Amino acid sequence: MIGSTPEAAGQAERSWSLSFTVNGERHELAIQPERTLLEVLREDLHLTGTKGACLEGECGSCIVLVDGVPQNSCLILAPQMEGREVVTIEGLADGTVLDPVQRAFVDHGAVQCGFCTPGVVLSTKALLAGNPHPTYDEVRRGLEGNICRCTGYMKVLAAALAAARAGVADDASGQADRPRP
Amino acid sequence: MSDIRVSEAAPTSGAPVGRSATRSDARDKVTGKTAYGGDRAVSQECLHAHVLRAAHPHAIVRRIETGPALADPDVVAVFTGKDVPGTNLHGMIRRDQELLATSRVRYCGDAVALVVARTRQAAERASKLVVVDYEPLPGVFTIAEALAPDAAAIHPEGNILGRQRIRKGDALAAMAEADVVVETEFSTQSVDHAFLDTEAGVAYLEGEVLTIEAAGQWVHEEARLLALALGLPFERVRIIQPPTGGAFGGREDLGIQLYLGLAALLTGQRVELAYSRAESMIARHKRHPIHIRYRFGARRDGTLVAAVVEVQADEGAYASTGKAVLRKAASHATGPYRVPNVHVDVTGVFTNNNPTGAMRGFGASQIAIAYEGAMDKLAAALGMDRVELRRRNLLLPGDAVTTSQILPVVSAQECMSAALERIGWEGRSYETPAPHLKRGYGLSVVCFGLGYGDGFPDASRARVRFTDGDRLEVYTGAVEVGQGLVQMAAQVAAQAVGVTIDRVDVILADTARTPEAGSSSATRQTFFTGSAVRKAGVELRHQLLDIVGTLLPVHPDELDLADDACFERADPTRRVPLSAILQEGRRRGYPLEAEAIFEPRTICQDDAGQSVRAFVTYLFASHAAEVLVDVETGEVQVQRIVAVHDLGKAINPLAAEGQIEGGVVQGIGMALMEEVVRQRGRLLNPNFTDYIVPTAMDVPEIIPVILENPDPIGPFGARGVGEPPLIGTPPAILGAIHDAIGVQIGQTPATAERVWRALQQAPGR
Repeated sequence: MIGSTPEAAGQAERSWSLSFTVNGERHELAIQPERTLLEVLREDLHLTGTKGACLEGECGSCIVLVDGVPQNSCLILAPQMEGREVVTIEGLADGTVLDPVQRAFVDHGAVQCGFCTPGVVLSTKALLAGNPHPTYDEVRRGLEGNICRCTGYMKVLAAALAAARAGVADDASGQADRPRP
Repeated sequence: MSDIRVSEAAPTSGAPVGRSATRSDARDKVTGKTAYGGDRAVSQECLHAHVLRAAHPHAIVRRIETGPALADPDVVAVFTGKDVPGTNLHGMIRRDQELLATSRVRYCGDAVALVVARTRQAAERASKLVVVDYEPLPGVFTIAEALAPDAAAIHPEGNILGRQRIRKGDALAAMAEADVVVETEFSTQSVDHAFLDTEAGVAYLEGEVLTIEAAGQWVHEEARLLALALGLPFERVRIIQPPTGGAFGGREDLGIQLYLGLAALLTGQRVELAYSRAESMIARHKRHPIHIRYRFGARRDGTLVAAVVEVQADEGAYASTGKAVLRKAASHATGPYRVPNVHVDVTGVFTNNNPTGAMRGFGASQIAIAYEGAMDKLAAALGMDRVELRRRNLLLPGDAVTTSQILPVVSAQECMSAALERIGWEGRSYETPAPHLKRGYGLSVVCFGLGYGDGFPDASRARVRFTDGDRLEVYTGAVEVGQGLVQMAAQVAAQAVGVTIDRVDVILADTARTPEAGSSSATRQTFFTGSAVRKAGVELRHQLLDIVGTLLPVHPDELDLADDACFERADPTRRVPLSAILQEGRRRGYPLEAEAIFEPRTICQDDAGQSVRAFVTYLFASHAAEVLVDVETGEVQVQRIVAVHDLGKAINPLAAEGQIEGGVVQGIGMALMEEVVRQRGRLLNPNFTDYIVPTAMDVPEIIPVILENPDPIGPFGARGVGEPPLIGTPPAILGAIHDAIGVQIGQTPATAERVWRALQQAPGR
């Protein structure tokens, strides 16, 4: 566990201190070390935009950006986040101004039930940060870790390409030059 | 009948109906603000519930010992069937399933105990301490086992849920005299809805009223069924539908609402409950796996003379909506084809598998695989072109469907022509990049009756009203599960009343606030709730025109209302803004609200399965598919799908395209990859690692084409869209595989292994 230490002995349940940044805000939490990032985001920070759907890293509903890289938060133990920067769907818009990826999803009909949407939007955000002008096939490949049961993906792919055309890479908050895994 | 409007041209401005408007709920969904069922408990103090499921697929429950679980200090209560105050029974059509099993379990998803604890972990932990003394019984897991003379009886009346038949003309005699007879057999698989938003919600008491926030598909019926099961008067139950992450038929049966309701009622506390993916898949009903033996008899010139169809369906452990699914399969047995003599026998058989019931397609999807597969086989037997054979037999205006209903609008031929044109059928190429790859093209034409049909009461009510802030509110009990009802209702209301879409707020699915609209299923809400909203909206429009009559010296017939203003037809510059009309209306005491019911009648099928009006209307569709098959591995890659639907009118073309594309991809899943696998009643793949649904990498180019031959009854000519996009896809893909490799695959999904094996067994290999 990176940089985490067991807290005061004598507590009934083992508790670890976790210090990390979520959507630009620093958080110091005392958590049980076996909890996942998904659980901590939802239950402790009440950031319910991050969804759990399969809980085994297959569907991408729980994707968040960890230091700019899309990660399935259901597979990450929370203590691994020590010192890291996490962006969830709640942190993407600038106040009331939607991120260009969010805007494109709304405008292109890429949202139906919306349950996969936070994860797909963040995957798209990371994809375009690393590859500002992707081809159709690159977008498909970039979003293959996100299951959508409603849209049939066509409008999702169209939205991602439209966001690329809108020059989303230009305001990708400094993450564009970060190497992708 | 030739108004082919290609989807790319969908307008984004103009009148509210027909405009590709963005959804009013999309902004909250892209920002993560939307609170689904599982998000509702997060920031509130509540108890946590967990359901203990059956350890055996078929067993007598001799005794349940809750003491060890109750000993856990974090456990608040453990409930069994004996604690349920009402009938303890539920079921959409037949109340045959116990909420908590008291004496017998019939599949692995049956619930035996409900643990309520202070933490979710404690509830789960304690459920393992509940001791259930089972006496395992022999189980039946296939149709053949269920029908064996010595089979264990799953229900007291035996293992037959029901039979449905069609007797039209004399099919057996006509078959004997046919020039050519082809026979084909298909087996379809168990399919899971796999919506992403697994069942979750909260329940609490508001005074005397038990309130449940959990997603279903028909809040008012859920409240009725729940009231019966828990022994409460209807008015003491309130169901609120939270925003919902998909349904596809999978939320039609009551489930999580019962456990939430029981826990909150008996503890008096706020309770949350959420299923895991595994529990969701183990507990929920599935699409019917069915076996179909299909025979067509034809004259030498290709004219169909008879169809004889035998269907056996695995109903699983409980009735669910199974009887209606069987009826839909039977009533659609010959699809969009003119067949004068039809003989259909459908039998539904109980097993100890998951109950089977509603899923997008509802029996019509399975039977379409068979009639289209039989058409392809008949074309081969006759040495006739597949298109020509279909052209010769597709319904024309004035022809009757399987149930003898004559339809006012028949656009089967037109749909097929559009599909052929868009995929470039005439100039299609069979070239492939490598010799081990074979290219093929498939074609399907389907029809689908909307609504419950068969005389079942089917109605929707809606209310529209202006607020003091001049907003137009639409109240409907219909649920939004992702399909776009919220925007459909807004656009229809805006058009009917004459206001801008942005002025409309839609209030959905809360039994305490909204009028009953029936279920979001059966491709019915655009037709039913769209019509109710339109009727109420037109009534409200009349009030506005009446008011304007006192402001403008013009006969109301000379006035029009649109875009938040009333104006003279002859001189649109002479206008009164909506705000002034509403102000005057309030001053004069107009109600500024209206309510309407839309309740078209259907007629129950007779003993021969015939009815002059089995369904309120039918929708036609045609799909064309292009595939590449790797004959070394059996892998199938879908390259293109054209999906043509005659929607009558696309209220929101962008949303309609989204429904078509989503249905097509679910159809790809059914055709090629999705299958719930069980071993003696136990699910082997209740997870997304092993239950494979299509990803973006599996998606071909999908070309949705919308035709608009107006429906004589539907709102602004609209029918609906939900199910047919899925229904037409598997037969088109299977037909394309057949075309590519010369072998018809008789079992879905056509996995690489199945295709490869079929190739190995093909004659001449």
